Amino acid sequence: MSIDYSALLYDPVYAELGVPATLTVGAAAAVDITVIDDTKPKVLPMAVTGSAGPAEARSVGPGAFARIYELAGKGIARADYADAVLAFNGRTWIARSWELRGSPLGEDWGEVRFMLKEAAVG
Amino acid sequence: MKDVREEILARLLEVIASIPNIKAAYRNNVDIPEEALPAAIVFDGDEETSGADDRSARPSNRPYVVRMTPEILVAQQADQVGPELTALRRELIRRVLTDTQLIALVGGNGAIRYLGCQTDVGWMRSLHGVLMALFTFQYSLKIEEL
Repeated sequence: MSIDYSALLYDPVYAELGVPATLTVGAAAAVDITVIDDTKPKVLPMAVTGSAGPAEARSVGPGAFARIYELAGKGIARADYADAVLAFNGRTWIARSWELRGSPLGEDWGEVRFMLKEAAVG
Repeated sequence: MKDVREEILARLLEVIASIPNIKAAYRNNVDIPEEALPAAIVFDGDEETSGADDRSARPSNRPYVVRMTPEILVAQQADQVGPELTALRRELIRRVLTDTQLIALVGGNGAIRYLGCQTDVGWMRSLHGVLMALFTFQYSLKIEEL
């Protein structure tokens, strides 16, 4: 008998660490989901060839985890991920890319990590 | 005392600070927060002289021809960072090559040349772009003036 990782692992983790979010695909109505905020500090080197050494720009790399099976259960397919608008923790982002984090039961029962960009203002 | 190298670098900082929309201008700052973008930074450049090729018996305190190559870095973070970097590059080149104070500093036998630029991009909060432009300043180093 296989272990139910959704009930024993992902769902309790999201119940504790997750925050409410809305995912909007195109002109469709926003869908309520739960995400884990994975926004991290990010540093990009800026190449300098002289004696001053490499300069660095500091910002954040916004990201969020979601459960693939929650998205699928609410009608959001992988083809919908691109450019979806994800709002959580008071900010609104656009999914510029994503990576799948499969579970032992396969990728459909794991997580997706959305790599986000700032939604254009105006 | 007159140090043409330092005067050029100090003036370059003033020139890049005058570029429209530049929020912060620095000299040799290697740690730029996103709140400072778009930013422009002058890095003190490498220097070469005519000394290595001069095997004459002329006095050591004779004037040298110096070529200094400072690097100017322009960074921006925006959804459409490419056109914004292009606009900043255009202003940078135009302002450096036509600045009357820089032209006066290199003197009548000197020269200012734009060597080219390199660009790089990456993702942060939005698309982050960097443009590094190289200029060469050729001028006379007069030892008695140092």
